[in-house]
Amino acid sequence: MRATINQKLTEMGERERLKELLRAKLTECGWRDQLKAYCKDVIKEKGLEHVTVEDLVVEITAKGRVLVPDSLKKELLQRIRAFLAQHAT
Amino acid sequence: MSPAGCPHVNGFKVDNWRQNLRVIYQCFVWSGSVETRKRKAKSCICHLCGAHLNRLHSCLNCVFFGCFAKKHIHEHAKNKRHNLVSNWSLIRYRRGDRVVNSIDLLYGGIYCFLCQDYIYDKDMEQIAKEEQRKAWKLQGVGEKYSTWEPTKREMELLRHNPKRRKITSNCTIGLRGLINLGNTCFMNCIVQALTHTPLLRDFFLSDRHKCEMQSNSCLVCEMSQLFQEFYSGHRSPHIPFRLLHLVWTHARHLAGYEQQDAHEFLIAALDVLHRHCKGDDNGKKSNNPNNCNCIIDQIFTGGLQSDVTCQVCHGVSTTIDPFWDISLDLPGSSTPFWPLSPGGDGSTLNGESHLTGATTLTDCLRRFTRPEHLGSGAKIKCSGCHSYQESTKQLTMKKLPIVACFHLKRFEHSAKLRRKITTYVSFPLELDMTPFMASSKESRMNGQYQQSIDVFNNDNKYSLFAVVNHQGTLESGHYTTFIRQHKDQWFKCDDAIITKASIKDVLDSEGYLLFYHKQFLEYE
Repeated sequence: MRATINQKLTEMGERERLKELLRAKLTECGWRDQLKAYCKDVIKEKGLEHVTVEDLVVEITAKGRVLVPDSLKKELLQRIRAFLAQHAT
Repeated sequence: MSPAGCPHVNGFKVDNWRQNLRVIYQCFVWSGSVETRKRKAKSCICHLCGAHLNRLHSCLNCVFFGCFAKKHIHEHAKNKRHNLVSNWSLIRYRRGDRVVNSIDLLYGGIYCFLCQDYIYDKDMEQIAKEEQRKAWKLQGVGEKYSTWEPTKREMELLRHNPKRRKITSNCTIGLRGLINLGNTCFMNCIVQALTHTPLLRDFFLSDRHKCEMQSNSCLVCEMSQLFQEFYSGHRSPHIPFRLLHLVWTHARHLAGYEQQDAHEFLIAALDVLHRHCKGDDNGKKSNNPNNCNCIIDQIFTGGLQSDVTCQVCHGVSTTIDPFWDISLDLPGSSTPFWPLSPGGDGSTLNGESHLTGATTLTDCLRRFTRPEHLGSGAKIKCSGCHSYQESTKQLTMKKLPIVACFHLKRFEHSAKLRRKITTYVSFPLELDMTPFMASSKESRMNGQYQQSIDVFNNDNKYSLFAVVNHQGTLESGHYTTFIRQHKDQWFKCDDAIITKASIKDVLDSEGYLLFYHKQFLEYE
């Protein structure tokens, strides 16, 4: 079911639009800056020469997920629902 | 994470690799067109488990998509000894050549299994950036923000000029007093507002004015000098005698030592700056004053739509005029203020309260944009009816400027009396101009009365950044300005004296000229 939803969203370009809106909103509410600061901490800890992207992903994914404001999750969910309702086959 | 790329990528850079890489980006990463989106939707799933969510990567050597998180792509790389490229039908890979990279389908990053990390290859990044821009264009998104990277010349300049100035959150750079040269507070208050207009500051501090005037009387050059003075870090008040002289030269009606109107000065200054900006048109020599692209027009010019509706045939005649400011009538003037519109409502907007009965800025704006019956004494020739008919006229905003200046008409110069209207008007820190837009009026007319506030539309949201106040009477008075620094620090500029102010001080003040800045800026 998830796959079909994803397919529909991608096909109609809605996925890209939603990603852009999400990007903007996350920047506005300071989420991006918070995580950026956390990344810097991780890099300092592991050392610039040795750290890999994988290290960062592992460290910050969990924190990043938690820090997303609930209101934003609700808004996005609403948008997806509205879109699917509009384009129901 | 070396910026020089990894050595293993050279195995990939053979034959027609550039074209192949472009196709991968176009089809599977930045799918811009409808066909590529359809293809991406159908085929971008993991070949081992069918999922699309776990950081899908594409093998750059053959047709294989695999999850990164679940290590499916890692399995593939090890088994097949493949690692880069992924446009299957167009490439031939040589036997024995091991290509060890794969591409992340979400962000387009190249991962090398031998280096065990994402690698950054200049050539491949160049291709990725170009393809991304193309896809954005196809989607109608246009240009997006990308971080600044210095050119070779800029690197040189930075190395030769090592002195740096760091802006911290509590530094007060940009604040400077102005000496009063004899009733020149009307000029000082506007200068304070202009030097704290962010876009104007950025324009002048990045030296974007190219002067084409022969003599030394270019006001834009003087403005540029002024910004240098304000942001120099000097704390002693500045003496703007050159500015005053230039103003007298170019706006004769403001010359002399009498007190002048700050609003008149603002309009005159913008006008002269606009005229002197001829060289900054980016080469587009437009002799049409209505089609200028100078910094003044880019920041301050909006479009006011005037709709005249014939009461008989309901035909509408529309004109759009440019404006630099909105002059609003106040209650207490000789023209009646209330009711706001025939059968007007009293709903609250923009978080202002009507509890105290105070007039709000939104009230003034609603009055400004209300339909007005022109009366039987002012019939308009209707092109539909081919005769003179009674009509209604309505003003709305067609295009909002980046900086919106509201002028509260406190000085009444009617035939019978000259006086100052001191009615308190409450104004907000954040203003949403959506209800006053021409587009909103159209949707209301189409029957969409309940306009759900679209949380994602931020185009019409404004923030207050400067307030000019007048104390005293029409004959003798004094101008001061509140300006905003950083996000929420306010300062009062009283000629040479700058003091810290609270948000309450600002919002409780009478208000004469209110400067609002768009909260969100779009790239052209």
